[in-house]
Amino acid sequence: MKTMSTASETTFSNYGIYDLGDNLELLLPNTLITFQRISDDAFSYFREDSEGKIIEKIIPVKSNDVKIKLVPIPPLNHPAKRTNYVFLKLDKEIHLGENSAASIFVHCPIEIGIFLIYGDNHEPLDWVTCNPLNSRFGLYGSPDTGKLCKYAEVSLATDYDDSVSYVNAVMHIVIENTLSFAQTISKVIFPITDNNLYYKDSRSIIDGIKIIMKKRAAVNIAEVKPTLVDTEWATAPAWDKSITSIHNMEMTLE
Amino acid sequence: MVIELLQSLSEMHLVGELTVLSLLLGGIIMVGGIITAKIAKILFHKYYAPSLPKDTAQNISKLIYFGILIISFLAFTSSQGIDLSGIMVAGGIFAVVIGFATQSVVSNLISGLFLMVEKPAKHGDAIDLPDMGISGTLLDIGTFSSKVRIFDGTVTRIPNDKFFTSNIRSLTLSTVRRADAVVGISYNSDIENAILVMRTHILQTMPFVLQIPKPEFRIEELGDSSVHIHVFVWYPKDDWSEAQPILLAKLKRALDNAEIEIPFPQRVIWSGKN
Repeated sequence: MKTMSTASETTFSNYGIYDLGDNLELLLPNTLITFQRISDDAFSYFREDSEGKIIEKIIPVKSNDVKIKLVPIPPLNHPAKRTNYVFLKLDKEIHLGENSAASIFVHCPIEIGIFLIYGDNHEPLDWVTCNPLNSRFGLYGSPDTGKLCKYAEVSLATDYDDSVSYVNAVMHIVIENTLSFAQTISKVIFPITDNNLYYKDSRSIIDGIKIIMKKRAAVNIAEVKPTLVDTEWATAPAWDKSITSIHNMEMTLE
Repeated sequence: MVIELLQSLSEMHLVGELTVLSLLLGGIIMVGGIITAKIAKILFHKYYAPSLPKDTAQNISKLIYFGILIISFLAFTSSQGIDLSGIMVAGGIFAVVIGFATQSVVSNLISGLFLMVEKPAKHGDAIDLPDMGISGTLLDIGTFSSKVRIFDGTVTRIPNDKFFTSNIRSLTLSTVRRADAVVGISYNSDIENAILVMRTHILQTMPFVLQIPKPEFRIEELGDSSVHIHVFVWYPKDDWSEAQPILLAKLKRALDNAEIEIPFPQRVIWSGKN
C-alpha cells in the first residue's frame, strides 16, 4: 500500500511533460499518482486523493512514444461537471466611484489535468483537485432561472507570481464603471471555458476578464469579456474540447 | 402471359366499376405507402432525430409517418375512382355521431395535441403528478396517452386528458432543487453549536450541496422531548441522490461526532406526596 507524504518532507511534481518509462510516480498535495507498465502495450494508472478516493485504470498505448502532461485546468470537474461558469466571491469588496476603473489580481481556483501525449495529440486522462473543500457549487440568480456556477471564496493577489501552487492561479480583473453612480463589487461570475491557463514549475496564471458596467436603455448591466495574458509561460491544453465556447456574458446589476 | 392475366383481372368486376386489378393496385399503393412510411421514420430516427430535442423528434417522426399514410390512402381512393366529396359530407355526420360515442377518445386526442403544443414537460423530464400519486420520467406524449417511467423502474400509461388536466410538477425545470430534513436535539444542547457542527459537516462531506444559497437551519418547534431543527440545503437539479437521501444520515453523524444528544421521547412524571 502506497502512502502519501506530507508537504513538509516532499517535493511535489511540477507541471510539465513526463516520460512514462516503466514506472512513473507523480506527487501532488494529498494526492499520489502512479503509472506502471504491465505489458509492452499497456500501463496501469492509480490515483489516490485526499478524500480517500481511488481511481484505477488500464491504459492501452499505441506506441512507446507516450508521455504524460501535468497541467492546470479550469476548476469545473469536482465533484462533477455541471457548468462552465465560475462564481468568485471576493473576500474584500471593491468600491468603484462613478466613471472610474480598477485593476485587481485574484486567486482563481484550479484543478490539475493529467493528459496522455501521443505525438502532437493531447488526450485527457484524469483530473485532480488539491483543495476539494473549496470546490463547491453556488447559484447566481433565482432557483428556476439562475446560473449554476462553481463557487469559491477568493482573496486578492499582489501580482502574477502570487499563486498558491496546485491550488489556484492568478487572474487579472479589470473593472470599469461607466455609470453615473458608485458601485460595490463583491462577486464575479463568468464562463471560464474561454480563459487559457498558463504554467511555470508549480505556479499558474489564467487569462483575465474585463468587466464593464454600463447602462443599456433603462437597464444597468455588467458586460464580461475574457482578456488574454501576455506571458512566456507555457499554455495548458484545453481539458474538454467539446465544451461550448461563450465569448462574453451580460448580467443585470443587483 | 402476364398481360393476359392482368387483362382478365381488369375484367373481373367486384362492385360497380371496382375490379380485381384496381383493388390489387390499390393494395400495392397502400402496402408501398406503409413500407415507405416505416422506412422514412427509421431513416429520420437514424440520421436526424439524434440532433433534435427528443419531443420535437417524436412529433416530427409521427408527422412524417402519418403524413405518408394519409397521402397513400388518398392515392388509394383515387386509384379506385372513389369520389371523396360524398364521403366528406357523410364523414362529417359520421364524425359527429362517432364523436358523441367516443368522447373520451376524442378528449384524449385533443389533450394530446394541446400537450404537444403547450409542452408542460419534455421527454426525459422528471415529473411529479401529485393528483395521481405518480412520480417519474416522462417517456412519451402519444396520440391518446402518455408514458411515464416511475422511479421504481415500471412504466405507467396515463390517458392524455387526465395528464392534461392534472397538476404537473416539473422536477428538472429549475436549475437547482432543495432538500430538507428535521432533527431533534436535547434541551441541554447548545443550539448554536449544533447548527455549527451540522453546517461544517455538510460542507465537508456533501460536495453537491450549494454554498450559495447557504444551508439554512430553522428552529421549527420546541417539541415534547427535543428542539426540532429543520435543515434546508440546495443542490444541482440532477443530483437528488447526492443530497436528499443522505442528508439525515449526515446530520446524525455530525451530531454523534460532536456528542450532541438526539433524545428519545421522554416524560417527566411527578408523584404526589403527603
